[in-house]
Amino acid sequence: MSLLRSGSIPWLLAHEMRLGFRALTGKRAMGGVGAMIGLAILALLMLTGGVIIGLAARRFDVPVIPLSAAVALACCATAFTLMLSQTLAAASEALYERGDLDLLFSSPIPPRTVLFVRALGVAAGVLTVFLIFVTPLLGPAVFLGHPEWLGLFGVLAALALLATATGLTLAMALFKLIGPRRTRTVAQVLAALTGAAFFLASQIRTIMGEKASESLFQSLARDAAEGRVTIPPIGYWPLKAMLGEPLPLLAMVAIGAGAFVLSALSLGKRFADAAAAAATQGAEASAAKPVKGRDRAFARGVFAATLAKEVRLILRDAALLSQVLLRVLYLVPTALILSRTAGHGDGGAALAGGAGVVVFLAGQVAGSLSWITLSAEESPDLLAVSPAATRSLRRAKLAAALLPVALLLAVPLAMLLWLAPVAALWTALGAGLSAWSCGLINVWHQKPGKRADFKRRRGASWFATLAEVVVSALLAGGAGLAVAGLASWALIPLAFAGLAMLALRRSDEQIAKVLRMA
Amino acid sequence: MTEALIVRGLDKTFSKPAVRELDLTVHPGELYALLGPNGAGKTTTLRMVAGLTKPDRGSISIFGVDALADPAGAKAITAWAPDEAMIYDRLTPLEYLEFVAGLWNVEPRHAKARALELLETLGLASEARRRCEGFSRGMKQKVALAGALIHDPRLLILDEPLTGLDAASARLVKDMLQARVDAGGTVILTTHILEVAERMADRIGIIAGGRLLAEGTLDALRSQAGQGGGDTLEDVFLQLTADGAPA
Repeated sequence: MSLLRSGSIPWLLAHEMRLGFRALTGKRAMGGVGAMIGLAILALLMLTGGVIIGLAARRFDVPVIPLSAAVALACCATAFTLMLSQTLAAASEALYERGDLDLLFSSPIPPRTVLFVRALGVAAGVLTVFLIFVTPLLGPAVFLGHPEWLGLFGVLAALALLATATGLTLAMALFKLIGPRRTRTVAQVLAALTGAAFFLASQIRTIMGEKASESLFQSLARDAAEGRVTIPPIGYWPLKAMLGEPLPLLAMVAIGAGAFVLSALSLGKRFADAAAAAATQGAEASAAKPVKGRDRAFARGVFAATLAKEVRLILRDAALLSQVLLRVLYLVPTALILSRTAGHGDGGAALAGGAGVVVFLAGQVAGSLSWITLSAEESPDLLAVSPAATRSLRRAKLAAALLPVALLLAVPLAMLLWLAPVAALWTALGAGLSAWSCGLINVWHQKPGKRADFKRRRGASWFATLAEVVVSALLAGGAGLAVAGLASWALIPLAFAGLAMLALRRSDEQIAKVLRMA
Repeated sequence: MTEALIVRGLDKTFSKPAVRELDLTVHPGELYALLGPNGAGKTTTLRMVAGLTKPDRGSISIFGVDALADPAGAKAITAWAPDEAMIYDRLTPLEYLEFVAGLWNVEPRHAKARALELLETLGLASEARRRCEGFSRGMKQKVALAGALIHDPRLLILDEPLTGLDAASARLVKDMLQARVDAGGTVILTTHILEVAERMADRIGIIAGGRLLAEGTLDALRSQAGQGGGDTLEDVFLQLTADGAPA
């Protein structure tokens, strides 16, 4: 670092990278050797898939036709909305997470340098997530006869920079418009909505009941085949850039980089002011707004008091909102689509698939909420010094995590019950089991963490997260088979899920021992 | 008479011994101050008494209840308030007290009345329905103290209770503790503010290197330290901890 001029962008960037690296290695965020082996296996599988794709596509040239241009545009739009979801959340959080912000802003380093480096970190983080998935799948094709496909990586970089610029501008605009107290919540909700935007947009017609489930890509292919897709010349640029044509690629990278530099440098001073205002937002919020509600009686006993406390904390945590909301935004529309599908009398695969997705997502939402209520307890010592039985506390925390899932699914499942009672019962049973199982996994495999670390929990409790995915996937499979009329076949995944739960089970003593060591 | 707290032969080792062969007795209705330099083992001792840390050896009895054999029974009559307030930023003081009262199974109507009374006494009545997230450290400490008192514990254990409090708040808390002791309650606390121990404590224990070096009233400590009667607790403390410091 001494080779770099103090206070310069590269110097600050090196500092950020060093802190980031130490946070990663110091916290063993990847979960140790087991996680590394798991990731290596996953990478190998993806790489194998990539090689197969590369070999299959060896003599295949992507045609520059309206359909492929439309698909490329749709892919770019999907990637951009997903990236924007992350950058908007990250940009708003950067205002509130103090870290070393006060130190940096009290130093002679210009605020725009600080923001530029922070923004670069956001863009790099988003790009890395995409590269992790894209590189093993499409990297081999680059070496197996399609070097021009390297353009795809350039397009991703351009999209990441553009998404960061947009996220940053949106966060600052929100701050200006609605102030520090609301920005965090609104930005997180917007981030979740943006993340699910493409899914919601593609399913809106189905949700509204126009027709049974049909993906946007299916619809695109049909329209293109019928000659109804017309793309203006500029609409071909993303496709051409992905295929390595220099001019479109350079144009896309220039647009992304230009927007990034412009926003990061022009918003620097405002970012510093906004961050300073955000630092006092807690005091302002407290002074300005007493909690509303009638003067009600105190809850009675351990269970009721703990349930009330957990529900309040979940509802009041804006930072958690987007993470859970994103899953909810997939869960509720899927459940609605399921009932619409049943309403159209389209049984079979669509109904079974929808039921499976609902069951899986119910487990995922319950797992997330259980982690928050169980592992992210903010005052574990308070509970430990109280005479309350650990089991009562756990039951209340689990109930607080499962309650929102039940409420979210109540209406769609009631609709489904009206239209297809048997499918509704199997789906409700599967969703209940899946949510309960994922909650129990979080009871057995608690790993104390901070609510602020929720985004990183997949790294922190890697084993529990994987177990949640496996068990909810098995139960989703079982529910899907049952809805498809293959109830006896459903017993197979159900039995595997049961066996997995038996293997995952931990006694109270084992849980206590692990928690003592944590 | 049943002693408020009897600790015998308490041992705890982490990477190195934190508490060694500690014997301690606190009488009912007294304020006992545990003093010692940083890392002396004060907090570890109190955490073991509160049931947060399991001792390697020894026994702890709180008003005749064996705290190791019947932790729930001991916890029911005890309260613990550490220097870092155990509160939830997103709850209001009233909601926090509702939760704590639930943990100790206090009858709801009685708990609410007591919560309002405590918040009034601690000067937090106007903040009762605002979230704690914007509170100063001192205000959070007072909310935590209210939480510790909501179930009217027979033994109140406080670790550095005056940390972060301004002069007025510190006086308020000291008066509350004194009133509690005057009413027959028992308090054991650690503090770095020796003046507090000198003025308020009935008896003082001085701990260093995990061992209890001396115990008694200020006069008794003075004679143990071999100092003249006019010396302050600070002189006595420094003398005793220097003598007892591990080589």
